[in-house]
Amino acid sequence: MTEPDEELRALAAAYALDALEGEELRRFEAELARSPELRAEVDGFRAVAAGLGAETPELAPPPSLKAGLFARLDETPQLSPADAESAAGPAEAAPSAAEPTEPAARLRTPAEPAASAPGDELAARRGRRRLVTTLAAAASVAILAIGVVIGIGWSGPNGWGAQRELAALEAAPDAQRQTVEVSGGGEVTVLWSAELGRSAVMADGLPELGASHDYELWYIDEAGPAPAGLVGANSWRVLEGDFVDGMVVGLTVEPAGGSEQPTTEPIAAVQT
Amino acid sequence: MLGRVSDGEGSSGEPSIDVLFARTAAGDRAAFGELYDRTAPRVFGLVRRILVDAAQAEEVTQDVFLEVWQQAARFDASRGAAVAWLLTIAHRRAVDRVRSAQASAERDLRAGIRELATPAEDVEERVELSVEHERVSAALGELSEAQRTALAMAYYEGKSQSEIADALELPLGTVKTRMRDGMIRLRHLLGVTS
Repeated sequence: MTEPDEELRALAAAYALDALEGEELRRFEAELARSPELRAEVDGFRAVAAGLGAETPELAPPPSLKAGLFARLDETPQLSPADAESAAGPAEAAPSAAEPTEPAARLRTPAEPAASAPGDELAARRGRRRLVTTLAAAASVAILAIGVVIGIGWSGPNGWGAQRELAALEAAPDAQRQTVEVSGGGEVTVLWSAELGRSAVMADGLPELGASHDYELWYIDEAGPAPAGLVGANSWRVLEGDFVDGMVVGLTVEPAGGSEQPTTEPIAAVQT
Repeated sequence: MLGRVSDGEGSSGEPSIDVLFARTAAGDRAAFGELYDRTAPRVFGLVRRILVDAAQAEEVTQDVFLEVWQQAARFDASRGAAVAWLLTIAHRRAVDRVRSAQASAERDLRAGIRELATPAEDVEERVELSVEHERVSAALGELSEAQRTALAMAYYEGKSQSEIADALELPLGTVKTRMRDGMIRLRHLLGVTS
């Protein structure tokens, strides 16, 4: 084992402040994995940095945060002590190793399926009721129409054209649906039919984003994520683009108007 | 050791944060709930300060505790205090979010520095003032203004060294030196042994 590179060692303080990025960060972490001496230096600076953290006034999070957290525990396996021993140090490996950086890979991370915790039942029922109402309205429109015409020109994500598509999706013999919790609150239901080559998403109770951001949907396949349109915090839409069985439907928060590629981690993903 | 004071060990016979971590690692949800109750305001306070946006701060805070649930077995008390470990995870995740969402453009870039110069008593949302907090405040007062600014922009705004250099129109080397010297000085003042 060689002495840590002096130039890299000098970066230990900045590393503990999470102020390194790019190539410098990669080089430092590579060295850190090899050098117990450097690790001890980082641990010391981390304690100092935590002091800066403790300097910040405490602030009580909303109670819904805890409820949402506990609803996700069932689907979150714990690391066993044996695994922990074989792994690298705590904070070095933990946050970054758990997060693949490729947008497509990130979106592929399986979402937590709808949790069955008692506290969530009410929200889930409320969501289902709203969905049923939406679908009933859509179906009544469909009765008036003869056959299923897609993209007939009643524009808008919630226009009549879209409502008919939704009704057709609901009625498709191979229609499937899945509801997942969204990290941060609320839930989304994905409804899809490979036969129709379409899918729809209903969002229920997501946090309001304000004017600067939008929720954006993605179709993700081997080629990566493709934008599939924006959806409101309490709304629904038929996704843009063609659906193929096996795709992942993902949801991210993007700057207003949406992005060509995801710029944040997905807050929900459904594997079809 | 830094962080011990606020870990609440032994006060009124309730289990220490370290003990709650150990129970959490064994899958004890009640212990995890207590751990959450006692530490979430601290985590949320920090994350919210870095991200400013409440909805994003809530998401990140939930992710932090989900990670704690997953990784509790990895916590090693011999390497530092439990609260410090928690804040390390929280800080890293908040900074990741700042960088990934480019949220920094939407926030008041000077907020962190201003708050740092404001006595904590003026902040309405403050819940408790620990001994540790007083020590850190005092230690920060011993730094040069330039060092304090560099540390605040990194820690409270989630800026990288290069971003700080750009923002202050200083050579990168100068920022690196200030950050390092400031941290070494703080380490000494706080009596942290490395």
